[in-house]
Amino acid sequence: MAKQKMIRVRKLTKNIPKMAMDVCDKMLSDLEHARRPVVEAVKCSLDNSFYDAKTGYLTPGEKKVRSELNVSSVQKLARTVFMLNILLKNMKVGSVNTKRELYYIAKGFMKSDAFYKPLDFEDQPESDSVIEFICDMLEVYREELNCFAGDRGGQTYSQNLVVTETLSDGTNAVVDLSTLGTTPFQPKNKPQQFKLKKKGKLDFCVVMESEGTANTLVANGMTKRHNCIVIGAGGVPSNGVRGWCKTIQEQLKVPMYFYGDLDAYTMQNIYRTLKAGSAASLVRNSDFSAPQVRFLGVLPEDVKEYDLLCYPVGEKDAAEARSLKKAKDVLANDPFFKDKKNKDLAAILKWLVKEKKRCEQQSVFSVDPSNPRFMEEFIVKKIKKGSYV
Amino acid sequence: MASRITTSSTAEYFAKNLQQVGFSSPLKAVLTTLKESIDNSLDACEEAGIAPELTVSVTKIGKGSGRNTDLIEIMVEDNGPGLEAGDLAKVFGEYLASSKFGRGQCSRGQQGIGISAATTWAQLTNAAGVEVISKTKKMRKAIKAQIDVDIKGNKGIVKTKDTIDWKDKEHGVRVSFKIDGRVQLNGDGGILTYLQGTTLVNPHLTLNYKLLEQDWVNIERVSDFVPKVPAPTLPHPHTMKLGEFMTHAGLFGKITLDNFLKKGFSRVTDLTIKEMTKHGLPKKYLKSQLTTIKETEYKSIYQAIQETDLSNPTTKSVLTVGEEGLAKSIQRIGEVDFFSVLTRKPKICDHKPVVVEVAIARFLDRKDADDAAQLLRFANRVPLQFDKAACAITKAIESVNWRSYGLTQPKGSIPLGPYVFAVAVTSPFIKFKNASKETIDASDELVEEIRRAAMQAGQKLSRHIKAEARAADLERKIQHIEKFAPILVHGLAQITNAPKKREKAAEDGLKKILGRDTDQAESKLKEAESRLKVLKAKQKDKFGDVGASDEVADDASDVVQEAEVVKVAPAKKATKKAAKKKVAKATKKAAGRATKKVAAKKATKKTAAKKATKKTAAEKVTKKTAKKTTAKKTAKKTTKKKTKRRR
Repeated sequence: MAKQKMIRVRKLTKNIPKMAMDVCDKMLSDLEHARRPVVEAVKCSLDNSFYDAKTGYLTPGEKKVRSELNVSSVQKLARTVFMLNILLKNMKVGSVNTKRELYYIAKGFMKSDAFYKPLDFEDQPESDSVIEFICDMLEVYREELNCFAGDRGGQTYSQNLVVTETLSDGTNAVVDLSTLGTTPFQPKNKPQQFKLKKKGKLDFCVVMESEGTANTLVANGMTKRHNCIVIGAGGVPSNGVRGWCKTIQEQLKVPMYFYGDLDAYTMQNIYRTLKAGSAASLVRNSDFSAPQVRFLGVLPEDVKEYDLLCYPVGEKDAAEARSLKKAKDVLANDPFFKDKKNKDLAAILKWLVKEKKRCEQQSVFSVDPSNPRFMEEFIVKKIKKGSYV
Repeated sequence: MASRITTSSTAEYFAKNLQQVGFSSPLKAVLTTLKESIDNSLDACEEAGIAPELTVSVTKIGKGSGRNTDLIEIMVEDNGPGLEAGDLAKVFGEYLASSKFGRGQCSRGQQGIGISAATTWAQLTNAAGVEVISKTKKMRKAIKAQIDVDIKGNKGIVKTKDTIDWKDKEHGVRVSFKIDGRVQLNGDGGILTYLQGTTLVNPHLTLNYKLLEQDWVNIERVSDFVPKVPAPTLPHPHTMKLGEFMTHAGLFGKITLDNFLKKGFSRVTDLTIKEMTKHGLPKKYLKSQLTTIKETEYKSIYQAIQETDLSNPTTKSVLTVGEEGLAKSIQRIGEVDFFSVLTRKPKICDHKPVVVEVAIARFLDRKDADDAAQLLRFANRVPLQFDKAACAITKAIESVNWRSYGLTQPKGSIPLGPYVFAVAVTSPFIKFKNASKETIDASDELVEEIRRAAMQAGQKLSRHIKAEARAADLERKIQHIEKFAPILVHGLAQITNAPKKREKAAEDGLKKILGRDTDQAESKLKEAESRLKVLKAKQKDKFGDVGASDEVADDASDVVQEAEVVKVAPAKKATKKAAKKKVAKATKKAAGRATKKVAAKKATKKTAAKKATKKTAAEKVTKKTAKKTTAKKTAKKTTKKKTKRRR
């Protein structure tokens, strides 16, 4: 069978199979000489994250996670080598799998062969962390190891966007989003393979935290009345969503806004991940973040202007106390919010800590219940007015 | 018009409010009656310097008069000094008739309410009070009497009286109550739990009991030492309220104030009186007769005394069970794996002397690792079995982070596992929350003192738990070598297309590396075990033949005697041996020929160790017939290993 054409996420100069082979050969050689093999990987955590507004996304520092072979790490290393073997075989024949598929493939071997049984994973996160360790060790993207994420999030609606997708057999599929009605376009997990074209004029792109709210806006005719793209992030943006937003930003040069809840979780886990990537995937943030996206709301000034309904956040309730603590932690430790360029975003967090309240994105619906288009008008008005951070 | 205000006798009050003194349900009635009878017997024996020997039976003899109740006979017989005929009615039928009321001693009974309440309950539910047989040393024949309570007049009535032969009994008292009740044997409020607790804190007690249809059980005393309840000390001025202060003054009649202060209180001297004058005690009163001082003047005197700093009350009046007694006694309540006991130095909490003792034990016959550990609470050596949540002891135990000592503990709760936590608080002035003395008031100072004691006992216990964890760690490491090493090497060889020869060399290299790790773990384990051995030997010198034990004083300067951790059963040794055996195997393989000499040395060492184990096992077989089976197993294992080595 002919090897399938692979989709490239970036221009890669690394020879992954050779790098993997070298690492393994070094380990084997160390073992032959009764030396403890050591493998190093980029430390993907907030304390090894750096942010520079010019770069636009979180980048890794010098810290490394060093795994020396000993009784405690032998299981992890055996699993790493086992999974690496599967991935290398995939790359050799051009097979593509999701993380979940790899989990089940590995589990199949482990369950059916007594020799591999000790490696058995209890749950998918165990297998996922092995894959992530391999990526951090080789400093490559998961996609470059032919492992793609699922399709979660990123439903896209527009009357002014045409997407051309290059398929694995080399042919093209063209999708005009205006022909889909209220059915969303799903950008899949390889958004870098899309060629995007404007159909007429495009004024803005708005990424809604809630997929449901994005759908409501479209159902009420927002994309008919405005030259825009509406995307539903579906909570914390997946790699697919982040890559998709990056592709839109780079190819269409259209202003992009994010609209979500006014709380610490949305600020850090959702908006910051979309804009600057995450600390857990420092190696890949350059291609999986949309640095130009602006925070449209909900802003503290909206709460005041529209008298939006807020929840008090007390310190007695465990979940609420966590939310407050998170806001304080973010201010103290997150390099993104500590950067001077983002002082207005940090000010929002300070407001949350001071006021001890939070506001849901859907609270805008309550301002004028008789007007189904109020949310749409609210968003457009804010964009026109420049009411964003 | 005649006044409608009437007065009632104390007996009338308690007859209507028996729930306040532990008779709130048929279940509690049985336990409280038993408890009051045993408390009285133990106090009487100790006061007379007699090592108590009690015979107890609880029998269902028919249907109770009330709904859902049985007629229960509770019999307690002691070998105490016996009661004079004239005292019987007072002791069993009159409320607040006590030899101990307000004396400030660490006796079990304090007010003289409990046993009269039991008589009242019997009378109310079965129309007959208590049947008592009593014989003192002087009596040729024993007196048998039925005592009832004259509820209107708060007097004991001798209903029937007879003399009988009480053969083989030099002196003692037997009480028998027939009451409406229900019997609960196990659980927090169970009779068995009560008897276990009583056994634990009374090492000098020999107890024979029969509960319902079960066979007679005999628990022999483990100590011949009969604790002498320390004599009461003079009250401390800071522990009194104004009214008490004035009543106390009334007892002294015509003496001057300064003499009264010096003779009537502890910690008051000429120097402290001088200090009192600086705090507002008018000098003119010092030489005044108490009888001439007016009530308003008493107030200013009292206030000045309260303002003056005085030394804390003496701690001489408190009594302890003692670590040795606890160490021996704890083994009477089950098959103990290991335990830790601790007696704190007497401390002053809320101006009152208090001593806290803690015993924590793991039991082999309790296997429920997910159930909460059993908490036994004691106040002046009396088990507390109800209203656990609000008790100072419970609060203190729950506030300790037991996870750091290797125990499993849900947040803010009692730890889990087959453990018993026994905490005894002894004080001449225990602050109970209610008249039925079921809960100790949780003042911050007392909770903190109990907490410290629990933490110290926990530290000692953790040594054993950690040694076990090390053994488990070694086992895990060995399993890791056997499981993962071949997979890792095979994977690496597959990716690099390495020949079989290279794969074999890598496998050998890996075993060498991991063998070093297990060697380290093994040496840590050995180190822990040898430390335990040395300390056990030290403690053996201290406690004689209680069993070997460990722990030396390292941090607890305020501990009277260092905590005792005794390893009783060799249950965990089997695991450690299996682990060691595996290590030897793995190391031998890994080291190959080059390290054969080292392996041989280790084998020699192990033979010596095994011989020692065998010897210990043999000794234990002789000492404890109950543990015969375990010892046999150990011996068998040793033989097996020997045979294997020969092969």
